[in-house]
Amino acid sequence: MKVHWSKLVIGAFFSSCLMAASGSAVAQPVKIGWLSSLTGPLSSAAIAENQGVQLAVEEINKSGGILGRQIELLTRDTAGDPTKAVNFAQQLAFSDKVQFVIGPVNSGEALATTPILARAGVPNIVIGAIDELVDATKYPRAFRAINTNLQWISTANNYATGSLKKTKVAIIADTSGYGTASARSAEQLLEKAGIKPVYSVLVDPNKTDLSDEMNKAKAAGADVVMPWSAATGLLGRLLNARGDMGWNVPVVGHPALMAAQIRKLLNKPEYWDNTFAAGYQSTTYGTDGKLPERTQALVDKVRGKLGGGEIDVLFWWIALGYDTVKIIEYAAKTAGSTDPAAIQKVLENTKDFRGVYTNYTWGPTERNGFPDANMAMNAASTFKDGSFKPAPR
Amino acid sequence: MFTVIVSGLAIGMLYAAVALVYNVMFSTSKVLSVTTGHIAMLGGVFGAWFMTGLHLHWIVGLAGALAVGALFGGLTELLAIRRVLNRSDEHLWLLSTLALATMVQQAVGLWWGTEPKPFPRLIDQSFGAGALDQKFWLPIALAVLMAVGLELFYHRTMFGKLFLAMSEDAFAARARGVSTDRIRFLSYVLSGALGGLAGFAAGQLTFAYFALGLTLTLNGFIALAVGGLGSNVGALIGGAALGLLNAFASHWFGGSYQQTIAVGLLMVVLLLKPEGLLGSKNVRPV
Repeated sequence: MKVHWSKLVIGAFFSSCLMAASGSAVAQPVKIGWLSSLTGPLSSAAIAENQGVQLAVEEINKSGGILGRQIELLTRDTAGDPTKAVNFAQQLAFSDKVQFVIGPVNSGEALATTPILARAGVPNIVIGAIDELVDATKYPRAFRAINTNLQWISTANNYATGSLKKTKVAIIADTSGYGTASARSAEQLLEKAGIKPVYSVLVDPNKTDLSDEMNKAKAAGADVVMPWSAATGLLGRLLNARGDMGWNVPVVGHPALMAAQIRKLLNKPEYWDNTFAAGYQSTTYGTDGKLPERTQALVDKVRGKLGGGEIDVLFWWIALGYDTVKIIEYAAKTAGSTDPAAIQKVLENTKDFRGVYTNYTWGPTERNGFPDANMAMNAASTFKDGSFKPAPR
Repeated sequence: MFTVIVSGLAIGMLYAAVALVYNVMFSTSKVLSVTTGHIAMLGGVFGAWFMTGLHLHWIVGLAGALAVGALFGGLTELLAIRRVLNRSDEHLWLLSTLALATMVQQAVGLWWGTEPKPFPRLIDQSFGAGALDQKFWLPIALAVLMAVGLELFYHRTMFGKLFLAMSEDAFAARARGVSTDRIRFLSYVLSGALGGLAGFAAGQLTFAYFALGLTLTLNGFIALAVGGLGSNVGALIGGAALGLLNAFASHWFGGSYQQTIAVGLLMVVLLLKPEGLLGSKNVRPV
C-alpha cells in the first residue's frame, strides 16, 4: 500500500497535538483558592490556619500531588473585609477557575461569599462557625469543617450549669453581629434548661473598661460569667476587671478566652485562673499529659517549621487549616477526579474521615462535619503549645 | 457610679487631647487632618514597643513616643498637606491625609500585629486601686496640662504668637515676613509630639492597638466640633462631654445604644449652637 508522504505529516501533526493535549491535562495543577484574612482585624486565626494549609499543600505536593497533579494554592488576603472577600471569591471562581475554595476565615465574610461560590458550583470548605453558613439545599457544595457556633455555646453552657452547677448566669457579649447572635442563642439555650440569666448585656468591643459591667453582674448575684466575643481586647479587660475587683467568679465562654494574646493583656498571670472555654478533644492533654497521637505528630512537624520554640497560637487553628487541604485530597482521590458533582457525592457520603482537628462526617442533607463528641472544655491557664488540660469536672 | 464617671472622663480626655492636636494643626493650616488619631495610635504602639520590646525605661519610651509622633507630624505636613495647599484651594487634603492615615495603619498592622498588645505600668501602683488607677488619671491629667501648656505657649512665646498670627491671617503674616511654610511645618511637628504624648499617656487604657487611629480621629473631631473649633477649653469640655455621655449611655442602656445616644445628643448641641459650646461666630481658630 502506498501512502502519500503528506498524509503521514498531517497524521504525525495531529497525533503530536493529541499527545500534547493529553499530556498537558495530566500536568494541569489542582487549583485551590484560599480566602484568608492574613492582615486586618482577627488575622491571628488566619495566620495560624495558613500555616496548616501551607504545610498540607507542601506535604501533598512532595508525595506526588493529587491524582498525579500538583496543588496550586491561590492565596487571597481579604483583610477581613467582606467586600474584598466577595471580589476575590468571584475572581477565584470565574477567572482563575479554581476547583476548590477554602474559607473565608471570618463568618461575616463567608456570609457574603458562600452564595457566590454556590452559584459557581465550586466545592467550598467552610471554616466559619455561624450556623447560617451551610445549607444542603441552597449551598449543596459547601461543607463545614469547623464546629458550629451552637456547639461552642452548648458545650460552654453545659459545663457551667452541669459540671460547675451554676444557675445564676451573667452573659456579657459584644455588639458585633457575632456577639449579638451568640448572646441570643446562649440565652435561649439556657432558658430551655430552665435557667434565666440574672444579668445580660451587650458591650462595645472597644470599651476601655468593664468594671461597670462586672460590678453589675456581681450585684445581680451572678455565680458564673459567660462572655461571648472574639475580641481579645474586650476579653482581656473583662478578666482584668474581675481580677482587680478580687472577685473569683468562674468565667466560661468563647474559645478566644484561651488565646495566647489574652495572657499577654492580663494585669497578673493568675487572672487567667478559673477561666474555661469550649475547646476540642484533639487539642486537650490526656490524664497521661499527652496529646492524641495525630495532634502530637502535627505539633512536632509545625514546631520544626517554627524553629523548635513554643507554639504560641491556638493549635486547633493550625490543625483545622491542615485538615481542609487533606479533606480536598481525600475527596478528589476517592472521586477519581476534581469534577464538582463527583466531589459533592463523595463528601456527602463521608463517614469518620480521620483528620487531626477531628473526624469528619457529612451526609446528603448534613453539611456540618464536626461531631459533638469531639468538643471539650479546657482550662485557659493550662496553655501549652496551643493545647490545654481539660477543665475540672 | 464613681467608676463610670472616671472611666468616661478618662476616655473623654483622650478625645480632648486629640481635639487639642487638631487645634494646633488647624491654627496654621486650616486643615483637619485624618492622621490626627493615628499620631496618638503611634504614640501608644511605639511607647509599648520601646518599653516591652527594647526594654527601655519608661522615660526613654516617652521620649521615643514623642519623637515618633513629631516625625509623623512633620511627614504629614510634607507629604499630605504642603503640596496640596500650594496647588489647590479645594479640600483635597481630606483625601491626602486619609491616604496617609490608611497607609500608616496598614504598615503598623503588618509590623506590630493586628491584636491589641499590653502597655506597661508607668507608676508603681496596685492593680486594685479601682477608679484611682493611673490608667484613668494619666490621660485626664495630661489633657488638662496640654490645654494649659498650649495657652501659655500661644500667649507667652514668640513661636506661639506666630501661630496666632497665621491663624488670624496667613497672608498678612507672610507680608510681615513670617515664613508661613516653616511655621506650619513646626506646628505639625509640635502637634505630632503632643499626639504621641496623648497616645502614650492613655496606653494602659487603650492597649497598644493598630486600629485605634480612626476611632480617635472621629471622636477627637466630635469633641472639637462640640467644644468649638479653635478653643482649647472647648476641646476639654467637648471631650469630657463625649466620654461621659458614652459611659452613661452604656451604663443605663447598654452598648447597643451607646454611640447613637452619645452622638445624637451632641448633634442636638450642634443644632442649637453650630459654632460649638465655646466657639466664636467670628471664628478665631487658635
